[in-house]
Amino acid sequence: MKWWLTKAGDPAGKVAGNTSMEDVVQQSLVFTSVERLLGWGRQNSMWPFHFGLSCCFVEMATAMTPKYDLARFGAEVIRGTPREADVMIIAGTVFIKMAPVIKRLYEQMMEPRWVISMGSCANSGGMYDIYSVVQGVDKFLPVDVYVPGCPPRPDAFMQGLLLLRDSVGKEQRPLSWVIGDQGVIRPEKTSQRERLHDQRQQMTQFKTPDEI
Amino acid sequence: MPESIVAELSSRFGEDTIKPLTTRDETPTLRTPQEKIVAILQYLKSEIKMPFRMLYDLTAIDERAYKKEQNGHKPCDFTLVYTLFSFDRNLFLRLKVGLHGEFPSQDTITHLWPAANWYEREVYDMFGIRFNGHPHLQRILMPRTWQGYPLRKEHPARATEMGPFKLFDEKVDKEQHALQFSPEEWGLKRHSDDADFMFLNIGPQHPGTHGVLRIILQLDGENIIDAVPDIGFHHRGAEKMGERQSWHTYIPYTDRIDYLGGVNNNLAYLLAVEKLGGIDVPLRAQVIRIMLCELFRIASHLVWYGTFAQDLGQLSPVFYMFTDRERVFEIIEAICGGRMHPNWFRIGGVAQDLPKGWDTLVRNFVDYFPRKLREYDKMVMKNYLFKVRTKGIGIYTLEEAIEWGVTGPGLRACGLEWDLRKKRPYGGYENFAFEVPVAHNGDCYDRAVVRVEEMRQSLRIVQQCLEYMPAGDFKSHHPLATPPVKQHTMHDIETLIHHFLNVSWGPVIPPGEAMVCTEATKGWNSYYLVSDGNTGAYRTRIRTPSFPHMQMIPLISKGYTVADLLSILGGMDYVLADIDR
Repeated sequence: MKWWLTKAGDPAGKVAGNTSMEDVVQQSLVFTSVERLLGWGRQNSMWPFHFGLSCCFVEMATAMTPKYDLARFGAEVIRGTPREADVMIIAGTVFIKMAPVIKRLYEQMMEPRWVISMGSCANSGGMYDIYSVVQGVDKFLPVDVYVPGCPPRPDAFMQGLLLLRDSVGKEQRPLSWVIGDQGVIRPEKTSQRERLHDQRQQMTQFKTPDEI
Repeated sequence: MPESIVAELSSRFGEDTIKPLTTRDETPTLRTPQEKIVAILQYLKSEIKMPFRMLYDLTAIDERAYKKEQNGHKPCDFTLVYTLFSFDRNLFLRLKVGLHGEFPSQDTITHLWPAANWYEREVYDMFGIRFNGHPHLQRILMPRTWQGYPLRKEHPARATEMGPFKLFDEKVDKEQHALQFSPEEWGLKRHSDDADFMFLNIGPQHPGTHGVLRIILQLDGENIIDAVPDIGFHHRGAEKMGERQSWHTYIPYTDRIDYLGGVNNNLAYLLAVEKLGGIDVPLRAQVIRIMLCELFRIASHLVWYGTFAQDLGQLSPVFYMFTDRERVFEIIEAICGGRMHPNWFRIGGVAQDLPKGWDTLVRNFVDYFPRKLREYDKMVMKNYLFKVRTKGIGIYTLEEAIEWGVTGPGLRACGLEWDLRKKRPYGGYENFAFEVPVAHNGDCYDRAVVRVEEMRQSLRIVQQCLEYMPAGDFKSHHPLATPPVKQHTMHDIETLIHHFLNVSWGPVIPPGEAMVCTEATKGWNSYYLVSDGNTGAYRTRIRTPSFPHMQMIPLISKGYTVADLLSILGGMDYVLADIDR
């Protein structure tokens, strides 16, 4: 078997193998646990549910177009039915009239399932503290990742998806159906604000808006 | 012109029945007695010379909290406002009817204009005003299980005033049960002579509806016998929000009405505010506004173009068009800092001057885009399958369009060359050279033709903005311009106080009412604002184009197939927030 590795952006510096037995074994064997393998599979094929509520959905759809290219993370396979989807992205305002519908759609998704709350409206009601809007989708659904913004840029959405992806990879789940408590152990949700605080404090030089 | 209408109506319906009112805009406004309004509307629609054939808007105002006596009339509890438009006269006409009592009622006008159906349902839903003789007076925006009428002054505005939201299983079941469709209620038969009909429920969650829209179809095989659109899943209470926010802090909410149209919404709102306050806008600000509006029109049409092609089975165009939309957004981000909701216009101007180097970005785009449009013509418009799926589909005639309140590209696709930017120029559009594209068949393909050509015309306008961008202020020096110009402040205590109040409370707009109709990306959009001389609007009425367009779905989808319905929906170019607000 002939193989070689190249570094991205440096095709000249390829490292060729010598087709020895050691090489072949290194290239074709993976040692891992079944849980980890499944976690790896799950995290690299997060299939989103084709579900949008309002403005945020347009930015979510933009994330799938070439400039942002969500396919890089294996999450471009939009499913029209909740039964085939892994992650439901609450992209937009959660209306009181829509809440029972959202709930039912969520219940139709198969385990394991995750929820990303995208945008201020879904996070907390945002600027719509108004009679027809639920003040945050977490009033009736468990949320795994919150993406702030009104609407969040496609980049922000992708960051949220990557956070979820990492967390899904570390999740521990039973290998098959079990009765009763599923025994799912999820990694702790970290506050990005705290994690990035020091790094952000370093940023002191900002461009003025007077120039492009 | 208005005097002649008053004289004509008075001679026919008796002296003292019609009372002209003064408003801040030029729209002639007449107060009419409740018992004669239907006859007057009938007369204005079909008997008067140069008739008012379009019911542009129908709404209500809860007058019970209005402190100052408006125009000297006797205060009433509710006012119904009918806005008509005449293409022959190029004139809006506003008719007001005062209603008394806690839950008043009024005769329906659905027999005059079919388009009044949804407007009357909306007034009923929001104010609890009943319409006698209405074929189906049901809630339209709020859930059927809702208690109270949101736009009445006693109804709470904030969700946080209404207690925590809880969604028990029983509630889910109850709401789902309320959403069950019963054909009998809509007068639909379950069987024909030789077949059973199928009722297909599309939405509120469906990939083809472009948002949370529900349409129930009565089908005979694949053929649509009738359709019932169910809206209101996207109702964000934007009109109630207008009563709570100050004049200035309402601007970001307008962005989110037609969320693809961005600053076009800002413009429609601010033109009305500026009319109320008598605020002038400097030339440079006008040109900046127009440039951004046209860039947003291109961005919005690109989303429509791509998704329309996608609805019809072409999967690639949407990727090309979204990439070009990103190029538009590069300019918008550089100028405004935001993408979809830039919140960039201000009362009396714009938020900031253009950044250095804006012209290079715009020039690059102006040079780049025409080539792409030609490419898309080949890819989409000349595609055989695209033509087959859109030509002769979803046809309405010009008469039907006017009857149902269709505006914008949908109207121009029926052969009427009517663009408000040309016919009733606002905000400085009179200074620009562009053409109004028209088509003549009134089908989905022609609507597409008009929009594609509109992008070219928008690009022409952007190019003129680029070449002739005048120097000068980007914000007015009028005392009501918000936020006020800083250099006026540090002179003495008087100027300081004015600045402080204008920044903290926002401007106090003099009492009155105004509306300026704009040609938004999807049709005519206007904000009818009533001020009682306060820091916020007393009533904000948002008339959006998508609302009447959606109402027309049953008419234009009958006899076609389910697949054609997606073509009709795609060709219509609506946004759910523009329907439900």
